[in-house]
Amino acid sequence: MSKPISDVQLERRTVQQATSSLARRQLSQRVAFAFVWLAGFLAVAALVWIIGYVMTQGVQMINLEFLTTRPAGGVSGEGGMSTTIVTTLYLVVLTIAIATPLGVGAAIYLVEYAGEAQRESRLVSYIIKVARTGVEILAGVPSIIFGLFGFALFVSFMKLKFSLLSAGLSGACLVLPVIIRTSEEALLAVPRSYREGSLALGATKWQTNVSVVLPAATPGIITGVILSVGRIIAETAIFWVTLGGSYRLPTNLLSSGRSMALHVYMLASETRAFEKAMGTAAILITTIVLLNLIINFTSRRFAARMMGRNR
Amino acid sequence: MSAANKKGVASRLTVAGHQRPFFVTVIAIFLLVGAIAAFAGGILLSVPSEEGVLSGLQTRLGVPEEGALSSLQVFLATVIVAALGTLLARGMWTLQNWARAAVILLLGAIGLYYGLTVVFDAAAEIFGGEQVVPVGTILSIVLNALFRVVATGMIPIVLIYALLRLGAHFEESPGQRAFIDRGIRYVLIATALSAVFIVFLIILFTLVEAWEAIEEIGLETMLLGTVWRPGSIIGTEKAQLGLVPMIVGSILATFGAVVLGVPLSVGTAILLAEVAPPLVREIVRPAVELLAGIPSVVYGLFGMVVLAPLIRKIEVPYNSGFGLLNASIVLAVMIIPTVTNIAEDAIRAVPRHYKEGSLALGATHWQTIRSVMLPAARSGIIAAVILGIGRALGETMAMIMVIGNSIAIPKPLNNNPLTIFLSSARTLTGNVAVEINYAAGAHRSALFFTGVLLFLMILLVNSLARYLMRERLS
Repeated sequence: MSKPISDVQLERRTVQQATSSLARRQLSQRVAFAFVWLAGFLAVAALVWIIGYVMTQGVQMINLEFLTTRPAGGVSGEGGMSTTIVTTLYLVVLTIAIATPLGVGAAIYLVEYAGEAQRESRLVSYIIKVARTGVEILAGVPSIIFGLFGFALFVSFMKLKFSLLSAGLSGACLVLPVIIRTSEEALLAVPRSYREGSLALGATKWQTNVSVVLPAATPGIITGVILSVGRIIAETAIFWVTLGGSYRLPTNLLSSGRSMALHVYMLASETRAFEKAMGTAAILITTIVLLNLIINFTSRRFAARMMGRNR
Repeated sequence: MSAANKKGVASRLTVAGHQRPFFVTVIAIFLLVGAIAAFAGGILLSVPSEEGVLSGLQTRLGVPEEGALSSLQVFLATVIVAALGTLLARGMWTLQNWARAAVILLLGAIGLYYGLTVVFDAAAEIFGGEQVVPVGTILSIVLNALFRVVATGMIPIVLIYALLRLGAHFEESPGQRAFIDRGIRYVLIATALSAVFIVFLIILFTLVEAWEAIEEIGLETMLLGTVWRPGSIIGTEKAQLGLVPMIVGSILATFGAVVLGVPLSVGTAILLAEVAPPLVREIVRPAVELLAGIPSVVYGLFGMVVLAPLIRKIEVPYNSGFGLLNASIVLAVMIIPTVTNIAEDAIRAVPRHYKEGSLALGATHWQTIRSVMLPAARSGIIAAVILGIGRALGETMAMIMVIGNSIAIPKPLNNNPLTIFLSSARTLTGNVAVEINYAAGAHRSALFFTGVLLFLMILLVNSLARYLMRERLS
């Protein structure tokens, strides 16, 4: 709603304000900026408080025994967290393996083909509009809805039970829009001249995409994949209703398991073994912080590279 | 079919010499032999026999009863695999480019599979046991896994590298290229539609599951009923499935989060966009981004362990520390990244000359922000707040952990109306998550209806935000 403020309005305001003394105006600026600084400080303080508390409480729990023995199960809250690490690893690989080809393919279509296809036919342009809306809606769907959906479709209807596969498929739905959006951005950042050069050499559209555009966009796509890994590691609601929560090591795609985040929830709400939950949460936060650092690093390098090539 | 002969027939554009490298011949023969072997093996397996060779094998492999394949399925699979293998072998033999691409992909998949198997095996060995694994053992397992990756991964990597280097020997006729180009386009359209297909499936499946409740209990009873008492818990009594307590809970928790979180977020956004020097921005922005990455269970855990005891210090009867206040505080922190990011973008999008004009007229920086920039960025900021509301409505795990989950409508604990925030409540999301794992029949269906309701609310909120943002852009 960037309606320009009308000249009259602006004039009236500035005249009014000019009449108040400069000192008063500066005082109000100082008060307002103090609030703004306080807000920023509080946001950072909340982060430091949460991470600091969980880390200081959790680190005391972490030792070799905690990391390499499995949870005892039941309501005792005894045991380590070993199997949850492996289950999380399985889930991440499974989800990414399902979502990445779909997401990158969708992004390639939306960026590289949609423009010209839209001009060619009314129907296709309608389909593309629907596809874009779909991505937008999917990005806003809360995770418990994905959980319900996975529970209805994969767990009950397809009879996959509470399993890695059900959880992985539901998780893939969650990260699909993330991968599509970041891949789209990465593809858009590739300079036009790359494509033109390749097409001018006689390559087809697909050859151009595979051997010129995709390699140039890969670091950006990888950023999106890492972002999705973070989402999967942090996700709990979906896995609470699709993964089952068995503390044993999953032996195949159809066996139940327990991810790290789920383990935190189950320990905290079912056993009250808060110190073990803190230990697991500390590992979880460490992983997330590391992933964030990697994302910052790769996205910065990608941006720098694309800027350099644009020149 | 000699390569020289082929050159004249199929290709007019490619000029590369078509000497077939020995290496490619070996791969082609290997593929053909593989196809024949698969065919023979599959046929042998699928012939119905008295001893039940097929079912015997499947039992030995540990395939569950309902997942077992019939001999017809095995036969069909065999034929398909053998045909594809032969086709690929022929493609390699005649130096077709598509065959090279297919073989590279196949090798890549095999290599990836082996690599992952090694990683999984090592992880299972280290983390799977009930005993403590000493550091020495871990090191030896890791080294062993690395060695296996190098040893088994070498073969596909060398083959892929060689095939990539031999690209000039392969050819692709213009017809073929055009065919692939067109085929790929359809595959890509399909992937582009995957998101909307999932949305469709979500609506379909939640609605189908919710239908029983809509039909048996009725929309009105569920939307206006003030008692949630699923029969499967109580037993004899008839189930009462009114959602009003959860709707009230969701709205109050979200309201609290907005009251606490929005001033903080918008303040932070102004700080980042206008006030802070670059150094501070470099610290605050990643911190805000990290807030978005922290798992919701960690927020929940923090609320349980740290906030609940603090809130319990407020001396009001029946104050447990778990309730709407706790939930609102946790949610307020959780929506900070969403609101801050979008509000900051909106403020940054205000044209430079607005600011310059205002400053040139003698307004102070704050006056400029308040009277020019914030009004100009208003719709973006409102969109940010609405998206924050959407985020708060959808949050689940942190809510179950801190809100107390009582099924009654939240009421003030004493005659001060503000103590309603100390009362325990339950959100729509929490209602689903707490009960779905054991619910059955109408109860389960009512939970799906809760999901439908939530989905509709979020859809409404998000489309409103999108509408506002689009208006800002135009």
